[in-house]
Amino acid sequence: MKVVLENLTKIFPSRDKKSQNQVVAVSDFSFEIPDGQLVGLLGPSGCGKSTTLYMISGLQKPTSGKIYFGDDDVTELSTENRGIGLVFQNYALYPHMTVQQNIMFPLQNLTGKDKLSKQQMLDRAHEAAKLVQIDELMDRKPSELSGGQQQRVAIARALVKMPRVLLLDEPLSNLDARLRLQTREEIRRIQKETGITTVFVTHDQEEAMSISDIIVVMKLGVVQQIGKPQSVYDDPANLFVAKFLGTPPINVLEGKVLDGKVYIGDQAVMSVSGVEDMDVYIGIRPEGIEPAPDGVFECKLNNVEVMGRDASVVSTHTAALSPVIRAIISSDIHVDTASETVKYNIKPHKFFLFSKETEERIYFEVK
Amino acid sequence: MVDSKKHWKAWLYLSPAIILLLVFTVWPIFNTLRMAFLNDYGNMAAIGGQTFGFGIQNFIKVIEYKEFLQCLQNTALLCVATVPISTVLALLIAVALNSIKPLQKTLQTIFFLPYVTNSIAIGMVFAAMFNIVGLKQGSHMADTWGIINNVIQFFGGEPINWINAGSSYVANMAVMIIYIVWNALPFKILILLGGLQSINKQYYDAAKVDGTPKRRVLTRITIPLLSPMLAYVIITGFIGGFKEYSSIIGIFGEKMGPADDAGRLNTMVGFVYDALERDRQGRASAAALILFAIILIVTLINNKVIKKRVHY
Amino acid sequence: MSKNNSNTVMQERDIQKITAGQLISRILSKSFTYIFLLIMALIVLFPFYWMIISSLKTLAEYRQAIPTFWPRQLMFVNYVDAFTTANLGDLFLNTLYVGVVSTLLSLVITVLSAFAFARLEFKGKETLFGMLLATMMIPGELFTITNYITVNRLGWMHTFTALIVPFLVSVFYIYLLRQNFMQIPNELYLAAKVDGTSDIKYLWKVMIPLSLPTLISITILKMMGAWNSYIWPKLVANDDAHQMITNGLRNAFTDTSGQANYPVQMAAVAIVSAPLFLVFLCLRKYIMSGVSRSGIKG
Repeated sequence: MKVVLENLTKIFPSRDKKSQNQVVAVSDFSFEIPDGQLVGLLGPSGCGKSTTLYMISGLQKPTSGKIYFGDDDVTELSTENRGIGLVFQNYALYPHMTVQQNIMFPLQNLTGKDKLSKQQMLDRAHEAAKLVQIDELMDRKPSELSGGQQQRVAIARALVKMPRVLLLDEPLSNLDARLRLQTREEIRRIQKETGITTVFVTHDQEEAMSISDIIVVMKLGVVQQIGKPQSVYDDPANLFVAKFLGTPPINVLEGKVLDGKVYIGDQAVMSVSGVEDMDVYIGIRPEGIEPAPDGVFECKLNNVEVMGRDASVVSTHTAALSPVIRAIISSDIHVDTASETVKYNIKPHKFFLFSKETEERIYFEVK
Repeated sequence: MVDSKKHWKAWLYLSPAIILLLVFTVWPIFNTLRMAFLNDYGNMAAIGGQTFGFGIQNFIKVIEYKEFLQCLQNTALLCVATVPISTVLALLIAVALNSIKPLQKTLQTIFFLPYVTNSIAIGMVFAAMFNIVGLKQGSHMADTWGIINNVIQFFGGEPINWINAGSSYVANMAVMIIYIVWNALPFKILILLGGLQSINKQYYDAAKVDGTPKRRVLTRITIPLLSPMLAYVIITGFIGGFKEYSSIIGIFGEKMGPADDAGRLNTMVGFVYDALERDRQGRASAAALILFAIILIVTLINNKVIKKRVHY
Repeated sequence: MSKNNSNTVMQERDIQKITAGQLISRILSKSFTYIFLLIMALIVLFPFYWMIISSLKTLAEYRQAIPTFWPRQLMFVNYVDAFTTANLGDLFLNTLYVGVVSTLLSLVITVLSAFAFARLEFKGKETLFGMLLATMMIPGELFTITNYITVNRLGWMHTFTALIVPFLVSVFYIYLLRQNFMQIPNELYLAAKVDGTSDIKYLWKVMIPLSLPTLISITILKMMGAWNSYIWPKLVANDDAHQMITNGLRNAFTDTSGQANYPVQMAAVAIVSAPLFLVFLCLRKYIMSGVSRSGIKG
């Protein structure tokens, strides 16, 4: 089932009745989610990602715009008629019911020709429980489960009625770091096994990057970029996206383009063509700079952090917007830590220019 | 040094409370127990120098009284009828109130109004509403039948003699039940609405996503999640019900019954006070202890039943 | 689990029809809710309405076979009659005196005890507090019997003292205020000690202002208690000079079912009810929060 969002907009009236300050939570969002894909809505808090999810679920009504499931216009359809499964951020498992009762609950609401016999319900519940590997815990109450187990129950409850679309609101935020890794693989596996079109919301870029087929990066209600995780990372549309994706984060410096050369301070670090002379922000991925004796970009060396396979060269430069400039290199490469400075070579495909005015990406060709 | 000074201060601050509690709370516990087991104890007689034998005569006499059994029956009937009715009504009203936005505050205030009334004063209003003025004995003629009967007549029913001379026990009890339920609603609505408002809204969103019908949301989600508050209003309802007294005074006056059958609607508490005023403190104590025991047992049973069904 | 089981089902349905159905059922359920609530609200309000219109009718109009729902002639004189018949003026003063004196004394005792339990350390504190709480389980009737004898032997029969003193200490209020005091950070107290502030000054300047809402709730509940008390005054002080308002009202209109002058009676009831209503409308928040914590009156 593909999901189509068409010019979706949500405006919340201001809380203070006197002032006219409305909050535009989501602005003119259009996107077609292909059938059977796992889509991550990504952005900092307040970017409208959860509002978008709740509009798809039908729990919130869009101010304008349309939502289609397949070819059906479901914009006016209330949530129970949309056939979605929703996993809440804190799971919303009914505390007074056992795991089995929780999973069976949606099935017991079916009426008419969809009505199931008791045995059918039990079978379906067990099937769903097995899928998320909690079939051993059927008689427990939610309070007797760990966070990860509760999460699985919530997913099973959402899956048991075979939803057309599965929605997950910050599915991993309540789990500790180790469980988070494990559970995100689990979500990936379940999604692939069921093939249900799935949308999830997260503020954690690593989470979104690692399991999504497609990510949607949002900021203040406006979509910044949509694409496969790797291509968004490799080809950010603007400074925000470049900064939001990647750990450690991208190095950002002030610079300028003059006569086909990119300058940081008075060092010319790259020759480019097709760019006018202008002030720019320069973004360089940490894996895009490498210390070399004949490097073109000289910085003050602070120290080198060796972390097993990789090493991180920490240096500073007056034009940098962040306190340090970080380079991730193989720990085999030797860096002379006694030296005051370090010289880097820059890989052109890890090097981005952004307009200082609009922060939009400026494309160039390497000469 | 500092420590003992502090001790001394604490006891100074507590002294008024402790002295009063010793005289009016602690001493009564022992003395009431003592009087209950002194056969036929009476205060005036005791002042007069009479001594009383130790025994359980008071309890036997109380239980053998026909009046006492009538009181017990009235009290129990009122409890059994009013607690479920008022609880269910309060639950429905609270759920309905919780589901609306416009008018919510206004309606909430209206539903709380019966609480801030004097149960004897408003009892007199209820009495007026049910009262028949100028009923000719034996005939079917009266000046005015009272507003409640007027309403019944409007819908084509026969007027009922609710509280006047010649009225039936069932009619009397019906009036009492209506009045007590009316009086008990505000407190229950307040508690239940407070409980409802503290339930996480996401449970309802989750139920909505699953297309749960309204009635199932009520029985499978709201009521179980509200069960601690329900248990609370039921238990306090029973305790209050067993102490019912002034609402009957409000409607029937101190006769505790219709004009031709005084004492017909007397309650356990009424029995205790009657004995007290007649200088039968031994018997009053015994009856009060029986009342205490009944309340204790009912509360324990309630707790047991509820514990099985309450989700905390 | 197959993915396409329900897609097809959905497409067959006419979405428009579902949307219309949704709307109708939403409107139906909302109107049902409002109708239910409004009917219940009318039932709750009806006695008050009936009290007021009855109190303004002439006796002849009240006794008509077909009731009128608005008085033909507004008989405000009924209120004057009620005031004199039931001697409401004296009853008001008696009740006010008992209410104010017992509230003030009770507040002082409650504040001091709650302070001792919340802030001071002394041997047996927890045990004593536990014992106090345990007395809350015992029904008041058990105390009343002995207190009746005690008051009698102290020679307090037919005095205001008998109405005030036995109920000055409420374990529940001490408990409520202690909880409130405990929420105030202890550092404030220690800082005050370092500055050499006396306990009483600290109580007055810090603790009392910070727990004002609870104190207001206690005051209102205590005053309401005096206003509504009936049983105890009836036992120990039912003479003209000390009669409380509820007793006076009931005694003035003993005839519940005969030829009583109902309009005057209803006027008296309205006069007695009015102060409670006014206090409620002004201090709704405190009353409702106090009641929801106290659970008095089943």
